[in-house]
Amino acid sequence: MSTIALTQILLNGLALGAAYALIALGFVIVLNAAGAVNFAQGELVMAGGFAAIALAPLIGEATALPGLFLLPLVMGLMGLVGAGFAWLAYFPVRKRHQVAVFVSTIAAGLVLQHLANALFGAAPRAGPPLITGDSLSIGAFSVSLQQIAVMVCAALLISGTGLFLGRTQTGRRMRAVAQDPEMAAAIGIRPKRMITLSFALAIALAGAAGLLLSNQFFVSPNDGGLFMLKAYIAVTIGGWGRLDGAVIGALLIGIFETLVAALASYLVAEALLYAVLLVMLVFRPSGLLPERARARV
Amino acid sequence: MSDPRARLTLGIAAIALALYALFFAGDYALHVLTRAGIYAIAAIGYQLIFGRLGALSLAQGCFFGLGAYAAGLGALELGLGFPMTLAAGILLPSLLAAFIAIPVLRLASHYFALATLGIAQLALLVATNWTAVTGGANGLFGIPPIEIGAISLGHGLPLTILVWACVGLALSISHRMTAGKRGLAVETLREAPLAAATLGIDGAAIRFRFFVASAALGGLAGALQAHAIGVVSPDVLQFHVLVLILAMTVIGGRASPVGAVLGALLLVHLPEWFRDFADYYLVVYGAALLAAIIFLPRGLAGLFGQSKMPPVETADAEAPRDPAPLTLSVETVSKRFGGVTALDGVSLTLAPGEILGLIGPNGSGKTTLVNLLSGIEKPDGGRILLGDADITGRPPEYIARSGLCRSFQHPQIAPDLTVLESVEAVTTEGERADARVTEVGLSDGANEKAGTLPPAALKHLEIARALAAGASILALDEPAAGMNEVERTELSTLLKRLADAGHGILLIDHAMDFLLPLADRVICLSAGQVVAEGTPADVARDPAAISAYFGESPL
Repeated sequence: MSTIALTQILLNGLALGAAYALIALGFVIVLNAAGAVNFAQGELVMAGGFAAIALAPLIGEATALPGLFLLPLVMGLMGLVGAGFAWLAYFPVRKRHQVAVFVSTIAAGLVLQHLANALFGAAPRAGPPLITGDSLSIGAFSVSLQQIAVMVCAALLISGTGLFLGRTQTGRRMRAVAQDPEMAAAIGIRPKRMITLSFALAIALAGAAGLLLSNQFFVSPNDGGLFMLKAYIAVTIGGWGRLDGAVIGALLIGIFETLVAALASYLVAEALLYAVLLVMLVFRPSGLLPERARARV
Repeated sequence: MSDPRARLTLGIAAIALALYALFFAGDYALHVLTRAGIYAIAAIGYQLIFGRLGALSLAQGCFFGLGAYAAGLGALELGLGFPMTLAAGILLPSLLAAFIAIPVLRLASHYFALATLGIAQLALLVATNWTAVTGGANGLFGIPPIEIGAISLGHGLPLTILVWACVGLALSISHRMTAGKRGLAVETLREAPLAAATLGIDGAAIRFRFFVASAALGGLAGALQAHAIGVVSPDVLQFHVLVLILAMTVIGGRASPVGAVLGALLLVHLPEWFRDFADYYLVVYGAALLAAIIFLPRGLAGLFGQSKMPPVETADAEAPRDPAPLTLSVETVSKRFGGVTALDGVSLTLAPGEILGLIGPNGSGKTTLVNLLSGIEKPDGGRILLGDADITGRPPEYIARSGLCRSFQHPQIAPDLTVLESVEAVTTEGERADARVTEVGLSDGANEKAGTLPPAALKHLEIARALAAGASILALDEPAAGMNEVERTELSTLLKRLADAGHGILLIDHAMDFLLPLADRVICLSAGQVVAEGTPADVARDPAAISAYFGESPL
């Protein structure tokens, strides 16, 4: 394989991984805030894609940057959905076993999936591009503007989330609640508010990922499960509960998938990914990097 | 289920269902009823692993699908007849479950869910793409209907009866695995896995058995489905099959097999009743699942009240037997966590009938020592002997059965079990739960749920459990914490009596006015090392113990 082809593949993989990273980041934020897996994360990505398609007529064809204008709209809308999601599927079962949260989010995902099926039909639809225009060519090497835009947007959102959680007062409060809700409540932080905010942020990120993926990979109501699995695996590779690990894990999965798909087929890529995951769980049952989140017993 | 009223309700429901099938159901209604029976079998199986053990297996749909493929391929490729195809359908998923059980079942809950989902996805990929064998996306066609000899059970009423006979079989298997004492042990394992292990319950064996049984019943259901509709396609391995079975279990009731049957009947019939919703039917179905998990934590079965163990008379309990005398010897035991040395060459002995106080500041290694003794952690060096038997690094359930049990700083209990049931769950041969409950002074509240007990009673319950599990040696981690003066005196009296009967007791506590008068000897730990040892009076005056722990002498 030529260097150019390899670079091209790595770039594609990085763009895909960057979108996965947003999904995984949201997955970890909810995981830390709620101490439970959000099984609907993939359906929420799909919902973000459909939100973009539904909102696209508002922007119209005039602008050359339809997706970029839509991004804040979609994220805002999905943030609201996230807050509602927390109140509908998380708080009512918060005091129960972890498994109850698993099941309630599976059910919420099911509602979203079938709602999308009923509203938009099962056929895949293309979302609006972030940027219209051709590829940039440098010699024999060409990069599509769309891919660059995806990577730039994802990078900005990931670093923005990192700064928000690390440097702002609200972000620190959210992390305090994630670490120890009772202690946080004792020093005057309202856990419910912070958890709601965490869900809103996480699901806004999932929605952003849905928009970023919707043009190149299309949106269909039944893809949710796959996105959720990728995020789940990314978080397992990166160390349960680690934000940085989730991003690294997602980038690795994106590159792995693109590379194996180019060398063999997409089918082999998917099968190998699961096989690698299972082998990893056999030999390192607590993840690749040390865990940061501990099960609350 | 031992409740006669519940039995009556169940009997009436079964008769009503049979009458409906025999006299009122048309061909289509029978078909729907058959489908409900098939899913009920899969749900009864799923209940074992998900409902009883609380492990979110996402492979039940996969086991169902594999059962269908195994039966289909057995009939079409190997020319197997009816009972053999069912056997193939049971065998393939059971073997897969047994093969993956050991690595997968030790994973924490979130990784267990992911691993089982990964396996299910791999199975789906194989079924879709290994076209030569599985027929690829089109699947297998023309699987023959069930025939026994010349009698066809392929359609209509005969098939419905066969399937529901299998439902009865599944119910009786589930009952055998979860009735009586076994069920209590399983409940303890789910709610308090650490306590279960340190009381001699072999969790790994139970999990293995339940996981394989869930796969076998899933496979049986899949095999019946293959014969009933004559077609197997990769659709049977899709995630939605799992979600359907999960929904039946959640809506029906986590711990009630009859609830699982109800859930299956309901969810298979719902689409028939909700035709008017058309595309939105599945949305309603998702919403119903969400509503069930929120509003019906015990599922439909919870609406009919819980089956109860009959209250047990404790007045006539016979006097408990004395323990086999055992000496505990700890020889230069060490434990490190990363760079921190939690225990550094600790040695001690505990003779039968002796109460040994273990004191020291927080973080000095007291609880770590109890964790090593009970097998929850493995030591990095040194030996632990129970009598002549070396128990170093042995699993907790082995140590418990050898005669050493512990209590926890924060009591580990199954809140929905009554006091008597909690003790019954771990009782070994020759022990009587009611006698032990009486012995620790809980006979008045024997039929109260453990979750409603005040803290002091929970500590007594933990002691009763340890005794019933056959403990000769008791390691008690802060049993008097949070107790008032009266409760402490009661506990002192109990521990004295147990020591007099021959139990060796290792007692950790911070309440010196409780511990010092009670203990025969005291050991003071500091930073993982023994800094003082001797009679309570000696240790209380020991300069090393005073500087490490007391601050000033308590005497």
